[in-house]
Amino acid sequence: MDRTITYKEASEDISGIITKTGWKYYAVLTLMAVSAVSFLFLPWAYQIYSGQGVTGLNAPVFWGLYLVNFIYWVGIAHAGTLISAMLYITQTPWRRAIARGAETMTFFALFLVSLFIFVHMGRPWNFYWTMPYPNQRQIWTNFTSPITFDVFAIGTYTTSSIVFLFFGMIPDLASLSHTATGWRKRLYTALSFGWRGTDRQWHLQAKACMFFGAFIMPLVVSVHSVVSWDFALSVVPGYAKTVFAPYFVTGALLSGFAGVLLMLSIMREAYPVMKKYVTAYHYDKVTIFVVVLSLIWSYLTLMEVVTGLYANTSQEIEHLKYKLAISPFSYLFALMIFSNSVLPLLYIFKKLRNSFFGRFIIPVFVLIGMWLERFLIVPNSLSRKFLPWMWHDYSPTWVEYSIPIGALFFFISMFMVFIKVFPIIAIFEVKEDIGIPMRKSH
Amino acid sequence: MAGFLERITERWKVYREPGFFKKLDHKWTMVIDLDKCNGCGACVLACYAENNLPVVGKDECAMSRAFSWLRIERYIDGEYPDVKVKFIPVMCQHCSKAPCETGCPVYATYHNQDGLNVQVYNRCVGTFTCATYCPYDVRRFNWRSYKFEQPLDHQLNPDVTVREMGVMEKCTFCIQRIRAAKDKAKDEGRTVQDGEVLPACVQSCPTGAMIFGDLLDPNSKAAKLAKSPRRYRLLEELNADPSVIYLKRVMKEGPSKHG
Amino acid sequence: MDNSLLGIFQYVDDLLAAAEKCKKSGYGITIISPVPLVHEIEHTFGESKNPVKYFTGLGAITGYLFGTLFAITTSILYVLPRSGRPIIAIPPILLISYETTILLGVLFTLMGFIVLALAPSFKAKEYDVGLAIDSFGLLVDGVRENKFGDIEKVMREYGANEVKRIEKK
Repeated sequence: MDRTITYKEASEDISGIITKTGWKYYAVLTLMAVSAVSFLFLPWAYQIYSGQGVTGLNAPVFWGLYLVNFIYWVGIAHAGTLISAMLYITQTPWRRAIARGAETMTFFALFLVSLFIFVHMGRPWNFYWTMPYPNQRQIWTNFTSPITFDVFAIGTYTTSSIVFLFFGMIPDLASLSHTATGWRKRLYTALSFGWRGTDRQWHLQAKACMFFGAFIMPLVVSVHSVVSWDFALSVVPGYAKTVFAPYFVTGALLSGFAGVLLMLSIMREAYPVMKKYVTAYHYDKVTIFVVVLSLIWSYLTLMEVVTGLYANTSQEIEHLKYKLAISPFSYLFALMIFSNSVLPLLYIFKKLRNSFFGRFIIPVFVLIGMWLERFLIVPNSLSRKFLPWMWHDYSPTWVEYSIPIGALFFFISMFMVFIKVFPIIAIFEVKEDIGIPMRKSH
Repeated sequence: MAGFLERITERWKVYREPGFFKKLDHKWTMVIDLDKCNGCGACVLACYAENNLPVVGKDECAMSRAFSWLRIERYIDGEYPDVKVKFIPVMCQHCSKAPCETGCPVYATYHNQDGLNVQVYNRCVGTFTCATYCPYDVRRFNWRSYKFEQPLDHQLNPDVTVREMGVMEKCTFCIQRIRAAKDKAKDEGRTVQDGEVLPACVQSCPTGAMIFGDLLDPNSKAAKLAKSPRRYRLLEELNADPSVIYLKRVMKEGPSKHG
Repeated sequence: MDNSLLGIFQYVDDLLAAAEKCKKSGYGITIISPVPLVHEIEHTFGESKNPVKYFTGLGAITGYLFGTLFAITTSILYVLPRSGRPIIAIPPILLISYETTILLGVLFTLMGFIVLALAPSFKAKEYDVGLAIDSFGLLVDGVRENKFGDIEKVMREYGANEVKRIEKK
């Protein structure tokens, strides 16, 4: 962090991201919103009207691309929580400039997670039946179901993430409310709850943040392991694996960190002022995480295959054959290994971390690779269950391809709206990073 | 106070009982003698007629969306003239420790006092979890609203609902017939007799390969056959404790002339 | 009695020195800053109390009990046996109560923070726009009118750029 930046400059730079809007922004936002409607909402309406029959799902393969994307977005959400919670507890300095962006990603990723649950359901209009509430049917939820675990885990996760995100924003909103005009002023004033920045408020804010961090950090582990139990608590070969909880959590963090890298790189290009605050130093730190997580992920992938192979039951062997030796999937597996295990290792070269290749190409490959990991687990294991008579392949239809693509556009458009309303870099934390002004230098 | 605690511990014990039922009313079971099965498919047809199963057509069948709650699996060993063909009718196995029942978040599938695995269509929200967890792949999903065109709607069974789009369904052991038999027995003040309940598939089997009965009644035909040395259950190693019992087909070693 | 003075400083060490002096003279002081000065203030005035933890603890315990009781009672309200498992199955209860512990812990912490730090007040508060951006304020409460000059002098002495008098009726 450049210590010559003044507090005033930081405030103006970051509120400038909110207020200075060019025609390019509107053009991109319109494009994204139109794409989101035409790729996501219209096909989804079509699917609700005609039923799940428009997908390529069939009798053994009941979980397809929607579930893949559900897990994928839960994974993307994880890095934000890790950066904001764990690195807050350890008071790691480089989290300050990037935590808000990562948390925002968490927030919208969780939005998409719930969206994919609804898209995936056969009767989405009854989605609220999965939530426990007193009702005239006098029926509650089944607490032995991994799906109910999901409802609780993801519900808790979403609530905590929203609380943490908006809680951390209170001082910034109060600060912005003094300079903003019009509806922004009213919004910021309302959301800042009368924050003045007194010593007592700061003290309690730091303590509360510590508690949030301590509570949310276990969620990083628990949420994705609960999601992995959707699979690991079944008897299906390829699903019922004890390694799934750590495997999913590691994969989630790997994809999440790649997502954070890509998001930061795009934001830096779109708003060059961010280059002052998100520097090569941050890339250094985040890429180290990517390398470490990629190594752990590679080990766990090996274990996932090897444990199945050593068990040597006919079902496991059939499942592994289908995954590793049959034409499209073997290539996809190779691509997954290449992009998740091989490419991130290039980050050990310092020059590469700050090149275009390191900032854009590797994260994109990791994101694709992590998507493939989920794809190779979810529908593929179902294609080869126990009774060979019911073995059947799965080929997604255009609706199933279109909805995830549209969801990505939806994610981008929501993110774009967010950065025009709320500060994407924590102003007070950046100021803290710059250093507290002292007359006598220590 | 002591009485209150006693009551609590008593209730606790009841609710901690695995499977809840200390004693089931019935334990409906089906014994399928594979020696007698010739794979004619009459049971499949009877099931379609009895349970209002829609006929989905060629394209959907090619996508493996055929609605057969009961299917006849054919496995062929060897190359043409020396082939051995094996048939095995597979329907919902009504497992006592059904993997599907834990999966459902809304209790759409649960276990009833007859030892049946029940599906409640109205509760289903379509998360597909039960079908994914089922090791036998016997659950079927209403991918679309299937219409029964005139005059096909006249042949619908009035005792069975026509399911809505987005709902999971499966073999019920013809629960409507079990219900009717139990009601009749209750009216006449007696217990259900062996052979009184006949699911559609059992009724239509020309070779009598399928026998349906109450396993708790030691004199029923099914209970006697269940003790056969040829007895086995499908994928028993998964410990799902299925209610359908197969009697192994005894085949000659070496090549055979016909199936 | 309700009168107060707001001194605006550019440097934190100046501010802390002035604050220490005022506090020793027995005035109530409030430091207003755009960045957290938690460590610096603790260094000067010693650690202050943290009542949020009681809310957090209460929330976590409530959450745990709520999760456990909720999972038990709802499953016995409408008994539906499944998969040969007991109606009250222990592992899911542990998991559900784990999640509700976190959920209510977080919500109670938030509530505690709002109650303790942001409790809405309908009186206008002393403030200066610069305090949200790059200057640090020292608010001295309970100053008698005849003492205004003394306090202002102390602040100026320690390097305050500006001193505002806030008089209340």
